[in-house]
Amino acid sequence: MASELTMMSDSTAESESGGMERRTVLKAVGGSAIAVALAGCGELLEDEEDPLEEAEVPDEPIEAGLQTFLEGAPAVLGVQAEYGAETAVRRINENDGIAGRQIDLTVVEEGEEALENYQEFVEAGMDVTFGPISSGNHEAMVPEVNDQGVINVATDGTVTTLYEEDHPPEDNQYSFRFQNHDVMEALAAAVEATELLGADEIETYAGINPGYAFGFDEQELFSAGIEQLADAELVYEGFPDLGTDDMSTHIEEVNSAEPDVLFSSAWGGDATLLLEQGHGAGMFDNIELLVGPVLYGSANDLSEALVDGPIRSGSRNFYWDQPSVDRWDPGRELFEEVQEEYDVVPTAHFMSGYGAVTAWATAAEKAVRILGGWPEQEQLADILVNHGFYTPAGYHTMGPDHQGYSNAHFGELTWSDDLDAAILEDVNVYDPKNVSPPQGQTSRDWIADWD
Amino acid sequence: MIESFVTHTLNGLYYGFILFMIAAGLTIIFGVLGILNLAHGELYALGAFLVFSVVGFATGLVASPTGTVSAIVFGIVVLAASLAAAAILLPVGAVVESVFVRPIYERDEVYQLLLTYALLLIFIDVMKFGWGQTPVDPGVYGTLNRIPTTELVGFGYPSYNVIVMLVGLAVFGWLVWFFDRSKTGRIVRATAINRDMATAIGVSTDRTFTLVFAMGAFFAGFGGAMVSIGPGTAFLEMGLDPLVLSFVIIVIGGLGSLKGAFVGALIVGVISRWAIWLYPPVELAAPFAVMLIILLFKPEGLYGTWGEIE
Repeated sequence: MASELTMMSDSTAESESGGMERRTVLKAVGGSAIAVALAGCGELLEDEEDPLEEAEVPDEPIEAGLQTFLEGAPAVLGVQAEYGAETAVRRINENDGIAGRQIDLTVVEEGEEALENYQEFVEAGMDVTFGPISSGNHEAMVPEVNDQGVINVATDGTVTTLYEEDHPPEDNQYSFRFQNHDVMEALAAAVEATELLGADEIETYAGINPGYAFGFDEQELFSAGIEQLADAELVYEGFPDLGTDDMSTHIEEVNSAEPDVLFSSAWGGDATLLLEQGHGAGMFDNIELLVGPVLYGSANDLSEALVDGPIRSGSRNFYWDQPSVDRWDPGRELFEEVQEEYDVVPTAHFMSGYGAVTAWATAAEKAVRILGGWPEQEQLADILVNHGFYTPAGYHTMGPDHQGYSNAHFGELTWSDDLDAAILEDVNVYDPKNVSPPQGQTSRDWIADWD
Repeated sequence: MIESFVTHTLNGLYYGFILFMIAAGLTIIFGVLGILNLAHGELYALGAFLVFSVVGFATGLVASPTGTVSAIVFGIVVLAASLAAAAILLPVGAVVESVFVRPIYERDEVYQLLLTYALLLIFIDVMKFGWGQTPVDPGVYGTLNRIPTTELVGFGYPSYNVIVMLVGLAVFGWLVWFFDRSKTGRIVRATAINRDMATAIGVSTDRTFTLVFAMGAFFAGFGGAMVSIGPGTAFLEMGLDPLVLSFVIIVIGGLGSLKGAFVGALIVGVISRWAIWLYPPVELAAPFAVMLIILLFKPEGLYGTWGEIE
């Protein structure tokens, strides 16, 4: 099965992206200014006429709401999503808006009141809402989104069962999710470990994952994958509370079990804590490899000492240097814009915000072109299903299950003196079809069916 | 198995010493002033944020360690900076007591809770204003671990944890000395035991109370500083969990008892780490279960003095 879970190497991915021609881009995005601008290819459309100018659309701006974590430990991810959404909105407005309509983006703290935030957005007359980050919050929101009928494009909240089992398409019309769901990065982590160490060399594995829906989901999917790929045995799994101040007990258990592979979906402060305490307790002397789907989400908080060791990290559907910014202008321009505007390294959660806005904005523009006027929520929801669009991270689709599908990234976590920040090297890119099940099948059934 | 048991127990003791530094301040304030300070956790968080700035400045003045001696020097600088950061809490505590707390000593307890909860919210906003909304980390944990400690006796264990335990012991020893042996400490105890008599013999209860509140704030801040120079980060919500556990600890040990806070903190620290090791689902419940059992047999707590520092 490992051979079926193929990945594109750096060079392959770059040649595909780098070879994209002007007409290809225009055709792919429908030739509209906004879609091309959000893909980061705005210069291709100089002197192009915009056919949307004839469409009948309201004069007032589009009111959009974003809820994300703006403070506390989860803000490590949430603020990146805010920056991403703001950047997409800024690019839209600088390119005359969607069919001439500017976007007003209101950003609120997600906290534990995601449902109430969404309701307040709707009461305030928002045309669209984005967020949340939290899996639990997302789960709580989906029924309300369908009751209210105002489209929400979730930035994250990536538990796989949410759209596969809990809210299948026949029960869900208005709730969408842009970021890859858990199975894609958990399986990519399993393939990374197998490719790097060799299936025959992996006899045991362990997991330290956050003690809530996301962490349980990731551990279960990684276990299913690594047991199929390498017939490995689970020797320890621990679930520290999200935002814990101490992982020493779990690390000691890993040190005792000495697994070949340690899997951890720890993120934010939990990720840096795991690495800090892991180094302090000699954990990297007792494992062959640490694979973490979202360790790089803490890129701006990692130090050179922390990334030392056999660590491979995922970066969900966006790694800023994939394809290399030396050869991919949209990526370079986005990176420079983020550095100039926010003075941070953009992580996958930046793209969570950027992509969620882009998914909706490009679908709205497509709808205006088809209808000749501004779409109703129901029409826009229909357009979003199977909608494809570009960002500087590449091509994305919104599947029939309302789940976004994009390439998944994994690479060696290391340090760049030039950037004075953590980077990923030797990045592998996983095609969505190789790390997620066919439509209509659940991830667990799909993995269980592997020969 | 034995090595794991030792490591888990050491991890529990380390955590217990951190909790003791926080709970010590809470129990001192309650023992003398009779105030249950809900903002105590935020004084702990403020110490964690302050140490980020002070340690960042202090370590910038010394070269990065290259050997054992320079690592020890670095460690001394970090500890000195931590003390300096916590010392900022002394005037903060003094101002809070004299301006906000003093007017409500004679009022119903509900005023204490409302006032200290308001202070809790204000402190959070102050920290948000001062250090922003995202976590901060002084980033000295790895360097502190370069100081050789347990490996000298053939046992691998993070030196930072050892340092915290030694510092915690020193704090306990100093507090016992202060309240048992020093003149000022005896005045504080006398005031706690009989406020009217202390006033009658010329003790300024205002100054005593201000001193005690400032001391409580200092030790909360020092606990936060010790956490912040470790593997964790300073973040806005960090004060809540230690506050809750501190209440558990001082109830286990006996309200107002320093020895009780010390023993209670170590019990809670070790039990919580054993719980994660042996049966993780009871991690949160374990300290409360211990509290319940102890209160069943000793309703006043292990060293209960109910309002007298001992």
